[in-house]
Amino acid sequence: MLNFKKIRLMTKLAVYENKEGKEDIYLSKYYKQDYVRLQVIKSIISATIGYILIITMIGFYRMEHLIKKAVSLQYKTIGGYILGFYIIIITIYGLGSYLGYSMKYDASRKKLARYFKLLKRMEKIYKESTHEY
Amino acid sequence: MLPLLELREKIKNFYKQYDAYLVPAIKFIFAFIAFQAINKEIGYDVRFKSIPIVFALSLLSAFTPSAIMVLLAAAIAILHVFFISPILSIIVIMVLMILYLLFLRYTPNQGYVVLAVPVLFLLKMPYFIPILLGLISTPVAMVPTSCGVIVYFLFQVIKTAVTTQTGISVEDIMQLYTTVVDNLIGNKQMIMTIAIFALIIMVTYSIRKMSFDYAFEISILAGGLTSILGFLISYLILNKSGQILGMIVGTIISTGLVFIVHFFELTLDYSRAEHARFEDEVYYYYVKAVPKVTVTVSQVNVKHINSSDVKSREFSEPDTDETEEYFNYDDDDYTNF
Repeated sequence: MLNFKKIRLMTKLAVYENKEGKEDIYLSKYYKQDYVRLQVIKSIISATIGYILIITMIGFYRMEHLIKKAVSLQYKTIGGYILGFYIIIITIYGLGSYLGYSMKYDASRKKLARYFKLLKRMEKIYKESTHEY
Repeated sequence: MLPLLELREKIKNFYKQYDAYLVPAIKFIFAFIAFQAINKEIGYDVRFKSIPIVFALSLLSAFTPSAIMVLLAAAIAILHVFFISPILSIIVIMVLMILYLLFLRYTPNQGYVVLAVPVLFLLKMPYFIPILLGLISTPVAMVPTSCGVIVYFLFQVIKTAVTTQTGISVEDIMQLYTTVVDNLIGNKQMIMTIAIFALIIMVTYSIRKMSFDYAFEISILAGGLTSILGFLISYLILNKSGQILGMIVGTIISTGLVFIVHFFELTLDYSRAEHARFEDEVYYYYVKAVPKVTVTVSQVNVKHINSSDVKSREFSEPDTDETEEYFNYDDDDYTNF
């Protein structure tokens, strides 16, 4: 016989697992610190690549100027500027992604807690039905 | 109003029943329009312009996640530019990569906006996107919207650069590069458009979040008004008064479209049926779960039902003056005392 209570529960679980739960379950494989650190490293790397691209574009744009004054340029100051902006950008992206991904992890934990509650109820139904037989 | 509401319910039910076919169909149409717009605007390579190829690409993006559609569109645009000038295509790739690495990778669910904004620009009504996003999203949507604006103006600059391109010596290339960068960075219209779009999103979002009657409808109107005023000012500053009429008409149409979307509920996505498949020891289950229709708070009517005249009220419309009657009744009661 069909147990409609069970079907309803299973449907809820399956819908969650297929959609938003996918990411939550994936996240649950990490400890919070590990996950957040990994994401921070990823965003720092991507920000670095982006910054390098921007610097390259600016460099090409100023190519004529650079070649003309190649001897008299103050490389120390330019290097200082590039490094300074790099540190600012890295700080912003690092801190931002640390906060953002921490919040995301916490939110996914909350949703997962609901999911586990449903799973427990499911287990109970299973136990009851096995007692019946 | 009632026939419209009935129509809405009918369309919603239709959507619920056939969403498995409707969603790919809608995606297909959107992809087709997007690819055609790209081909019309920068279609330098005839090979990608042939209808069978556009058809195949649209079909592919109909059944894959929306990120694939955005990627395909970017690839086609880059290939078109590459066909006419490899140097320009490198610039395009670099700008797109910077946008992705620094901004877009943090808003993965709204990648389609970056494609939708330029396409709607070509259809003369980009105002649709910021108003809609203010209505259904958060201010974070400013990021992909701004990137979309940058992408549109980038290709506009590329389009003019293509016509002026001449030699292949290093000097010519540098010249070309500097003009492209100059035109992009110094593009006041682009910067103003980004600012106005951000403003529209903020205005629509903050009014939508307020708690008074018709907050959603008023927020849409406010978004449209912000758009008209903002672009009016920017066009007057930039001496582009020729575009004002088109802008106003485009905004009005966009606002109307947002109203239609709002009318058929923002939550079409939530009212989608879910298909789930699972099993236990005895059965395989193929379940189609259809969500129950929930009434949003703003539409709740105070209904006063007397047991004596329930029959007479049973078939009354939901939007009749029952609330008024209820309060009038109260007033009478007080005056009697």
